Amino acid sequence: MATEMSRMPFFYNQEGRLVQVDYALQAVSRGSTTIGLKTKDFALLSSQVKPTRPLMEPAEKVFVVDDHIGATGSGYIGDVTTLLDQVRVAAQRHRVVYDEPIDVGTLSRNLSEYLHEFTMYAVRPFGASVLLAGVDHLGVQLIQVDPSGTTFKGSAFAIGQSADEALEAIVKGYRPDLPADDAVSLVTQAIEGVNGGKSVIEHGIITAAAKRFEHRHIPAPAA
Amino acid sequence: MTTTVGIRSKDGVVLAADKRASKGFFVGSKVVQKIFSLDDATAVAIAGAMSDAEYLVNLAKAERRLLALRRGYPLSVKESAKLISNIVYSSMKSYNPFYVELVVAGVDLEGPHVYTSDMSGAITSEDFMSSGSGSPIAYGVLEQGFRKESSLEDTRKLAEAAVRAAMERDPGSGNGVDVLAIPNGHALEAN
Repeated sequence: MATEMSRMPFFYNQEGRLVQVDYALQAVSRGSTTIGLKTKDFALLSSQVKPTRPLMEPAEKVFVVDDHIGATGSGYIGDVTTLLDQVRVAAQRHRVVYDEPIDVGTLSRNLSEYLHEFTMYAVRPFGASVLLAGVDHLGVQLIQVDPSGTTFKGSAFAIGQSADEALEAIVKGYRPDLPADDAVSLVTQAIEGVNGGKSVIEHGIITAAAKRFEHRHIPAPAA
Repeated sequence: MTTTVGIRSKDGVVLAADKRASKGFFVGSKVVQKIFSLDDATAVAIAGAMSDAEYLVNLAKAERRLLALRRGYPLSVKESAKLISNIVYSSMKSYNPFYVELVVAGVDLEGPHVYTSDMSGAITSEDFMSSGSGSPIAYGVLEQGFRKESSLEDTRKLAEAAVRAAMERDPGSGNGVDVLAIPNGHALEAN
């Protein structure tokens, strides 16, 4: 029976778990610490950039999906960028078909269905979780999508390395009326707190007023 | 049917078009938009089937956004024209053509450009051009009035005059003129 299992790792095991999906989640928890936070006025996506070495340009971690939606992820960066392209294409397809920007719920469902396909067959599920932030008719939205295709809606999420500790720090500092600048410093503290000091962090933000997802550039401290 | 005009001046580009949609010998609409903007710095004027035109523009907008997001900076006018002509060409080759004749005009970091393409997807770069049933009449005005060194305002007047002349004698064109002028320096930077 044990040999049967190891030959078909994409089936349920005897505990009823999909081990490939569990491994994918483990891959995510080895990724860089990444946080999403929203209030009714804005949504913020922040991700630690690693590795960084002298003379190396930090990799892009926070992405524009469409004018009104942004994304970031944690896990295998190649998987993150492939999923990113999937949602970018879905957003533009929606514009071609309906002549309207896509809503965040429809977009996350599209991503979730795509990820789910890879849990059904003898293939490797994506080793990446994605955070989507955007503004649509329903207001400011923040959604986490996992390798299994599971989606979560909420006010704050942390994925990647030491995600639980980082989320604890966010929960302590979160208020529904948190100003955007304070949110950036809260998230920065949370990420740096679990990674032992100064980190390169990329931020992206969208406000309910402007409805545009944009990178937020933090002036680098003088070296 | 239709008259569209595209002109390149030293200060930018101008597109102009009439507003009539014909249903055979009947005026189907008097308020049709034949000029579509792809972004702040690039636009297309289309003569032919409006359904094909609108679909083509939506498709081009989506493809441009995707490429701009993927690579981090927007398309040049030439790239936009080539993108559209590739779509039109592949449709023609699969016996399902877009019934359109189009002008792609705009300004980018290299300056003002006017490109034109037919339904076969052949593109050329022009100083000025016209398409649609009124184009022979519009060309009369353009050949007489075009000056490379004209200001954008004078170019704008010439484009409007060319379409108005065509509207006087071509039954497929009429009901007013839409004009779009895009000045230099309007090119988008990386996002």
